[in-house]
Amino acid sequence: MRSKLHHRWYVPYLFLLPGLALYILWMIYPLGYELYISFFNWKIMPGQQSEFIGLENYKEVMHDKYFWMALENTVRYTAVTVGGQMLIGLGLAVLVHRVFIGKRIFRTIYYIPVVTSWVVVSFLFQFLFSSHPGGFVNYLLVSVLGVLDKPVMWMSETKTAWIIIYVLGIWKGVGWTMVIFLAALQGVPVELYESAAIDGAGEWQQFKNVTLPLIRRTTLFIMVALVIGGFQAFVSIYLITGGGPLHRTEVVLSYMYDRAFDRLRFGYGASLSYVLAAIVVFVSFIQMRMFRQSD
Amino acid sequence: MRETSLSMHSVRNRSQRRFQIIIFIILCLGVIVAMAPIAYMISTAFKLHAYVPEFPLQFIPRNPTLENFETAFHSRNFDTALYNSIRVAIATSVVVTTLTAMMAYSFARFDFFGKNIIFYTLLAMMMVPSMMLIIPQFLLATRLDMLNSLNGLILVYSAGSMAFNMFLLRGFFEALPRELEESALIDGANHFTIFARIMIPLAKPALSTVAVFSFLGAWDEYIWALTVLTDVEKRTLPIAIANFRGAHSSDWGLIFAAALTAVVPTVIIFLVFQRYFVQGITTGAVKG
Amino acid sequence: MFRRLTLLALIAILVMPIGITHARQETVTIKFWHTYNETSPENDMLVNTLIPMFEESHPNIKVESVPFPYGEFRQTLLTSLAGGEGPDLARLDIIWSPEFAQLGVLSALDETMPDFQDLAARVFPGPLSTNAYDGHYWGLPLDTNTRVFMYNPTLFEQAGITASPTTIDELKALCEPIKALGDDIYLFSDGGTYGWAVLPWIWSFGGDITDPEITTASGYLNSEKTVAAYEFLAEMVDQGCFSPSYLGGGMDTGTGYFTDIFASMLDGPWMYPIAEAQYPDFEIQAAQMPAGEGGSISVVGGENIALFAGAAHPDEAMEFLRFTQSDEYQLKMSEVGQLTVIPSLLENEYFQNHPYYGAFLEQLKTAKARTPHPAWSQMEEILTDAGQLILRGEASPQEALDLAAEEIDELLAEE
Repeated sequence: MRSKLHHRWYVPYLFLLPGLALYILWMIYPLGYELYISFFNWKIMPGQQSEFIGLENYKEVMHDKYFWMALENTVRYTAVTVGGQMLIGLGLAVLVHRVFIGKRIFRTIYYIPVVTSWVVVSFLFQFLFSSHPGGFVNYLLVSVLGVLDKPVMWMSETKTAWIIIYVLGIWKGVGWTMVIFLAALQGVPVELYESAAIDGAGEWQQFKNVTLPLIRRTTLFIMVALVIGGFQAFVSIYLITGGGPLHRTEVVLSYMYDRAFDRLRFGYGASLSYVLAAIVVFVSFIQMRMFRQSD
Repeated sequence: MRETSLSMHSVRNRSQRRFQIIIFIILCLGVIVAMAPIAYMISTAFKLHAYVPEFPLQFIPRNPTLENFETAFHSRNFDTALYNSIRVAIATSVVVTTLTAMMAYSFARFDFFGKNIIFYTLLAMMMVPSMMLIIPQFLLATRLDMLNSLNGLILVYSAGSMAFNMFLLRGFFEALPRELEESALIDGANHFTIFARIMIPLAKPALSTVAVFSFLGAWDEYIWALTVLTDVEKRTLPIAIANFRGAHSSDWGLIFAAALTAVVPTVIIFLVFQRYFVQGITTGAVKG
Repeated sequence: MFRRLTLLALIAILVMPIGITHARQETVTIKFWHTYNETSPENDMLVNTLIPMFEESHPNIKVESVPFPYGEFRQTLLTSLAGGEGPDLARLDIIWSPEFAQLGVLSALDETMPDFQDLAARVFPGPLSTNAYDGHYWGLPLDTNTRVFMYNPTLFEQAGITASPTTIDELKALCEPIKALGDDIYLFSDGGTYGWAVLPWIWSFGGDITDPEITTASGYLNSEKTVAAYEFLAEMVDQGCFSPSYLGGGMDTGTGYFTDIFASMLDGPWMYPIAEAQYPDFEIQAAQMPAGEGGSISVVGGENIALFAGAAHPDEAMEFLRFTQSDEYQLKMSEVGQLTVIPSLLENEYFQNHPYYGAFLEQLKTAKARTPHPAWSQMEEILTDAGQLILRGEASPQEALDLAAEEIDELLAEE
């Protein structure tokens, strides 16, 4: 490690202070405050008294069937969208890496869905998946491709409602994984492929034995980031299905928001948040562990 | 010998060309999938009274009209919402860029007591879903009288995007050579001068990345704004767009005309600053 | 130190009178929250005609009209009240009044408003009663409505139907001819299994949700007659007579009705201004809710106007509240589908010759209100979920309603 610059003891703190103060006030303090709230039957209307109830909220979470349903949905959403984004993103990155013409244009276009607003694309997908026979997706499947013989009522069934949310999640995220994978592929020295080719390795073997091991770190990074992102999914679900029908498309965050801001059960919402955060942190550590061990 | 090698070469060339054509076609199909929804949104924005999708579907509007855009812009407070969003996004961008640059400099260049604990706390906090803190943040905003306040919005957005951007900048600062700073120190400059005169100019590309990312984050944010803003003249663009949805039926042309106002600037920003986007999202990932 | 204090006092004395006179001259802005859709005729009338009218006669008061989407309104209001950022006045769906009253955020008008009794005497007793909770009145009615049976003349004609059905059995008989028009044409549609949608069927079948005193749901929600109503709905949806929009997320009922996909629906007077604006060639045909064993019973809707206990300017807000009870306001709003709550106005020529209010006024004679209880929102969620289980064929009506009745009983016992 290089020697650090000479300085008076307080100088680094002066640089840190404004940002850190803001961060502590709006992030660290709320984190602690939320733990405190989660031990109360928290009342928020002026003049009402909050009641300390210890671990009751957490006990209730453990017995709440809607929480378990929401958790299962969250995990499934994460698995489907992370898998989809990584596979398609990697596939596109490999193709863009190999194509001679229009490399940069492809990269640019694939990234555009990433910069669109979640609110807007949530409405857009609701419209595309309209149950009307003239709805974009229905029209495509029934009238153009002829894959189905009848328009689908996408929003009526839990399964088809999930399809909208999954497709949106993957469509909007693929550009991001593609750009990162592409950068990683561009970092793989060409000589390695050449020597592999001389050894008689085919395309697939080159990909498996040269490319994949060299982009391991990138893959890990993408996976950890996407999993954290998957657990954060909220806006699309909130706007497209609102958690319905029968809470069957609820994810943990939408359920938490509903309990807190619709039922005014802030204490219970706080404990739901804490349980989710614990799960996310745990899952992230496991992933990093797994990768380190197999290194 | 020579002949076989030549014919081998041309065979390879031919298969190479076929391979290129195939991947080009696949990539073009990908472009259609990526762009068709957006193209259809644009097309719908030019259709009048699009309460239901028409059958058969028209990809190109038969009677294109600008009326939806006029209605959207003339509806009450849409311009205010646009102005609010611009204001909040720019302010957030400035606050985040300034404060994280200072923090990143501190982490990149100094050793100090408590450095590790602060560093790892920030790192760990990046795993916490930001939405998870909405309950205590709401109660805090209530106590600080920051509901219905655009400044409150700016502070919360800034705090929320701080950790990620700080790590991005720190990586960049660490990679910068120290010679300039060291000689400036010998010449008697203090650290603030060095930061402002040497580091900031050198870090311009990275700072642009941070500025653009935090701008877009604030521009798109929906749920916090929905939770804390109720005054009509404080609403931001995503809320104004959502409010075009009707209780009975929605005029999709109108919604998408309004939505394009939010999407077009972000796409333009992306196209202009593309280089920084790629840099920003790949630094952490590829270098590890 | 002492000198500084004197200086401070001096400044305070100098500034204070200015502050007071300043405040007196300043106009006061009151906030009025509601759910009129931003692009609707109602909102246009409120913002461009009525509020300017009020502001002209009350130059010291400005009214800030704040529209919210209906689905977000209750929650936004709760949240802002919790944060101390609530409005002065709000237009509340009549079923929300007890909940907000119970939370203690509303002002008891019978105590705070000296002329409350005069105003209360002017309005229909039914809508007025939706403001009562715990021995006080927490608002005044603003508008009233109900759902009537509306049918699509084109589809009825194509199917060879000449008369609108007067009973549920007659309605059921129309299923075949309508289905013959096409696979994706439905006899009837509604947007879900929430109270507003299912209650007319439950009541017309002779069933109910709770006893009249609202102490128990068992024996009412799971009674033979309520079960029969749900069996009917499930059968209709299953056979493709009623649209699958009942399961949520399908095509918006009104849109399907106007575009010849749904042959009939139950809806309110606001559909007329919508038709006029969006489907000028369409002629809505209205009739009474088809009758069953319990009669032809629809659901009462409408809104109340409530003053908040934490209002920043209660006196000025009360002034606007009075304005909403005036003949002028009520007549103007009636022009855009908001039926008046003042019976004496119905004598008015305007209503006597009105093209469509007749059907609603007739239906209102027998219509009933949703359970006026602070826990209604939660009761309705239980009801909605039970309806979904039944219509999806995941539980028999009896099973689902037994369970729902049990859950509602628990809820009622908590109070």
